[in-house]
Amino acid sequence: MNLFSTKGFGQDCPENFKLPSYEVFSMKMLCLRDIEYSRDGRRILRPINMRFREGMSYSILGPNGAGKSTIARIVMGELKPTSGQILLDGEDITGLSVTERAKLGISMAWQEPARYEGITVQEYLTLGGKLRTNKDELQEVLELVGMPYELYAHRFVDKSLSGGERKRVELASLLLLKPRYAILDEPDSGLDITAGKLIELILNRFRKCGTTVILITHHEGIALKTEFAYFVCSGRIIRRGFSREVVDYYRKTCRRCSFAEG
Amino acid sequence: MTIKIDLTREYEALVEAYQREGLDTSLFGDRIAAIIISGDRIIGLNNVPGVKIRGEEIENGVRADVKIADNIELPFPIHLCTGYLKSEGYQRVIFEINVGKNSKVRFTSHCIFPYAKDFTHEAITRIKIGEGSSVLYDDEHVHGEGVRMVSKTEVDVGRNARYTGRFSLTKHRAKELKLEMVARLDERAVLELESKVKAVKDDSVEMKEVAYLEGAHSRANLRSTAIAFDRARVNVINEAYGFGDYAKGHVECHEIVKGDADVQTVPLLRVKNDKAELTHEASIGRINEAQLIQLMAKGLTEEEAAEFIIKGLLGE
Repeated sequence: MNLFSTKGFGQDCPENFKLPSYEVFSMKMLCLRDIEYSRDGRRILRPINMRFREGMSYSILGPNGAGKSTIARIVMGELKPTSGQILLDGEDITGLSVTERAKLGISMAWQEPARYEGITVQEYLTLGGKLRTNKDELQEVLELVGMPYELYAHRFVDKSLSGGERKRVELASLLLLKPRYAILDEPDSGLDITAGKLIELILNRFRKCGTTVILITHHEGIALKTEFAYFVCSGRIIRRGFSREVVDYYRKTCRRCSFAEG
Repeated sequence: MTIKIDLTREYEALVEAYQREGLDTSLFGDRIAAIIISGDRIIGLNNVPGVKIRGEEIENGVRADVKIADNIELPFPIHLCTGYLKSEGYQRVIFEINVGKNSKVRFTSHCIFPYAKDFTHEAITRIKIGEGSSVLYDDEHVHGEGVRMVSKTEVDVGRNARYTGRFSLTKHRAKELKLEMVARLDERAVLELESKVKAVKDDSVEMKEVAYLEGAHSRANLRSTAIAFDRARVNVINEAYGFGDYAKGHVECHEIVKGDADVQTVPLLRVKNDKAELTHEASIGRINEAQLIQLMAKGLTEEEAAEFIIKGLLGE
């Protein structure tokens, strides 16, 4: 079954769009059902429904302030939705903590990765020895993100790393973890002109591991590297479908519509 | 190394304590300039070319003079070992260290009080660093449950000289710790001070780092890290005085609190020269939420994430 050939995809998406219940409960997927989020009386997300099927890559595309990162943080469990459910393989995980979700295979690279004093890149990647890996694998993922092992393994993950270097370490960390779902929040921000190529390499690597990527971005070019996309604006899903189609729609409509005013 | 025959057992007991703590026992070798103190006695002394250590037993302790000649660069650190192997008592040590010109030396100072239950250790260290020299002073402590420690270090950093002082008491009880480090900097002198302390239960810690940037183009970086758990009390005072033309100083203090601990930090920056520049950075409170969450998103529990972050901060 092609998830994106079912009702509601490849066209304007009504806000009350819901997944057919047989899909939610029978397939290996991560779903957001009627997720709403408000803060200080302000509605950040209107009821939204999303689904992410295993092994695919998805973008959540939209302008600044659209609510993209809020969606990511809700999926990861950092924020609790005002209402709605997060379902993993049909199980409700809305009440689970960040750690519990991570143990189920959901992980995330934040837009602004935190910095840690006195922790080396190698210690960080292996979570202080808790993640079983070997030097070859460490070397491989570091080199994939453009950081030679010899130069970086013993550097500290503190403010001595540039923003771009820190971002690359974070991406390497997720590659090593091989989660079922990797949420990448603006993975290209702070990176140099090689960003596009790097994102491609990372997506390929995740694809080989069977990891589903959920990529948050406001860059159409980055969204095009994933298979499917959601176009989000003002806390609503405006369009969903194949990335090419969604990006075309985004290019035509974004900043020309009334949604941005809320 | 010259070891007093009647004190070989005490010497062996100290070496054993080093082994237990995973400290480097090769520091007791003949190639290392060293003074080994146990209680109020000097139980070992070794000099190497360019380093002259003289010790004198005083009431309740030891006074030692360490002289480094000009143009000396040592391949090994100078070992200052102060031990106290009884559970109760009082010890006083005074170190006078003079480093000549254009020398490069490293000190490893160990204070070993593994059985202390009711023990007071008082240390006074005066260090004078000649022009163009570089000194690294590592101060590591092994404490039993009941140590009251009062330590004052005064450093004179000469023209174009450099001093790096590192103090760490993170694996053992701090109990009662009063630590003061005061440095005066000459023209183009550089100072780096770094202190790391973990306080638990009812420990009481006071750390004070002071830099007088008197010389033109002198530079100082003072960093303190304190972790306070349970009912511990920690007070950190960092002071920097910008007196010289183009003097630059930075003061940084990071404190993490857990439980009912009581922590305060008091920075004082004073400039008496419009060309000097001083900056200050501090964080105090619980572990940064973003640091925790981002590690938890990799499968660590909150406790595991906190432990990992603290280990990094303390350099363990």
